[in-house]
Amino acid sequence: MELAIRTEHLTKIYSQRLIAVNDMNLEVPRGSVFGLLGPNGAGKTTTLRLLLGLQRPTAGHAEVFGKLCGPNAVSVRSQIGYLPTNPKLPGNLRPIEYLDLLGKLSRLPRQVRKPRISALLRAVGLLSATEQRIQTFSTGMCTRLGLAASLVADPPLLLWDEPTAGLDPTARRFTLDLIRELGKTKTVVVATHILSDIDQICDHLGVMHEGRMIFTGSMQDMKKRLRRDGFSLELEGDADNIRLLADEVNNLEGIDAYLGAGQTLLVRIANERGRSRALAEVLKLIDASNLSLQAVHSGQNATENAYLQLLQEDEAHGFQR
Amino acid sequence: MDSSAKISKLSTRMMPYLAILQHDMRALWASRLVRLWLAATAVLTLMLALANWSKFQDAPMIATLLFPYLVFPWFFVVVVLGVSPVSGSRAEALADGILSRPVSRSGYLIAVWFARVMLVWSIYLIVIVPFIVLVTLAKRPVLEDMVTIYGIVTVLFLVGLVLTFLVSLGFLMGTLLRKPLLAVVVLIFVWYPIGLILSVFSLEEFSPISLAQALPTQLRQPWREVEEGPKVNANKEDMDAFTNQFSHFLNVLSGTKPQPKADTPDFFESEEFANFSLLRVTLGYGIPTLLTIILATLSFYWRDL
Repeated sequence: MELAIRTEHLTKIYSQRLIAVNDMNLEVPRGSVFGLLGPNGAGKTTTLRLLLGLQRPTAGHAEVFGKLCGPNAVSVRSQIGYLPTNPKLPGNLRPIEYLDLLGKLSRLPRQVRKPRISALLRAVGLLSATEQRIQTFSTGMCTRLGLAASLVADPPLLLWDEPTAGLDPTARRFTLDLIRELGKTKTVVVATHILSDIDQICDHLGVMHEGRMIFTGSMQDMKKRLRRDGFSLELEGDADNIRLLADEVNNLEGIDAYLGAGQTLLVRIANERGRSRALAEVLKLIDASNLSLQAVHSGQNATENAYLQLLQEDEAHGFQR
Repeated sequence: MDSSAKISKLSTRMMPYLAILQHDMRALWASRLVRLWLAATAVLTLMLALANWSKFQDAPMIATLLFPYLVFPWFFVVVVLGVSPVSGSRAEALADGILSRPVSRSGYLIAVWFARVMLVWSIYLIVIVPFIVLVTLAKRPVLEDMVTIYGIVTVLFLVGLVLTFLVSLGFLMGTLLRKPLLAVVVLIFVWYPIGLILSVFSLEEFSPISLAQALPTQLRQPWREVEEGPKVNANKEDMDAFTNQFSHFLNVLSGTKPQPKADTPDFFESEEFANFSLLRVTLGYGIPTLLTIILATLSFYWRDL
């Protein structure tokens, strides 16, 4: 398998205090759409910045297309198109001026640069905003310009950090379609904590938690990890009561409960337990609590459940981590 | 490979750095600080010229006009311009926008340093040259002075060199200390007692105040006299003096006793500053400028963005 990115024992510790990336071994196959998933502060952005050479690893190393990453690794950065979260753009410039500057930074000759800028502005839907200065742009427009900026040099690898952050539903749909389209010819790494994005566009996945890579593999592998003998219960009521309910459910034999996104309780039933009886016991506890049951789902949101399960398992492993 | 292909290859290699230089210059000219500085320096120079119009001869008059660049208040502006590009929130923005592209850190740093040096020189020359022309050509109610073109060019060069050093010092502080305000405060505390610091090492000749005092002498310096004199010996004397100052500097640092040598009058003892040496002062500011650039580049290379 040809690799676009490979890291070995990659570690980043800030000021001997904060471990941002912890002994990470990562392999991203060439031509894949790779989702880097993790909660806020998991180390996703730091990983991308280490690949770009904007930060120096405390230990270990990273390679992009077989070349070592570092502050002066110009040849590595020429292969990468980077989109930061909420990109900070020079407000005094107009979009064409900005993209022209970036084209020059990538040493593109004028005859390549100019037509590509026009094509990109058309592709991201900013053709009508070329007269405006960037400081007048909305968040969505800035992100779209950031997308165009990452594509100016037509690099084989794209590192996009939270590309759908702050976008309205239309712009979000556009971005996801674009990633899917680009994924046919390029390697795309999308760092996000939005599971539905990952679900829609990625074929490979890496899950980070507290600086560690706790899972890497294909989306199928990820979903296989999910134990199907479970339910997702949508509840209404106080968050403390839901937590209390989770504790009570955990006290039941052969039943585990995890807090899900929003007011959801994920319930896992051990193989030896009868599903209907177990569910009846859980429903009885809900009935006794101050909560009301809105819906019961079975086997839905597979990626989300698998992801939450991974995080819970990682936390439960404690010292073994 | 023929020469046109070589030039084309070189221009492709230099393209990112020229683009950064152009972009930075444009951003600087658009900044309020720079526009305000340009206006303020023009106003102050005009006020100084008017106030001393009938008082000073050409040489002290030009030295007076140059004084604000060497001591106060333009030192502060030049330092702030030097500090800003690689510190504070700007560092993050430039990491996202420029340093994530195929650009080396050292190349970026030298491009933005050069942009600032060019800007400072431009503003300084745009304002001061017309006033110098006016002062030297106008018929003023003062005694005629013997200011030479050579003297004017060398003095402009020296003051520019000091400004270049200040930009570089700001640059170094900006890379060492991430907070721009802290960097500026540290520089103020280092720069203002510089005369005292230099006197400890017997390097008073390099202090901006003594440089300002020596400017009238240098302005009257003819080019021919330098040519006529024994050039090799003159340079040798300069180099000897520079070596002596440097060894004294090392002695102070290491705490060793200096070797006794023949007593020559100190720079300050003769008020005419006849022993002022252009080469020595150029080296005295040029070498530290190079050192600060090298240190800033190293510091920036090791820094996380």
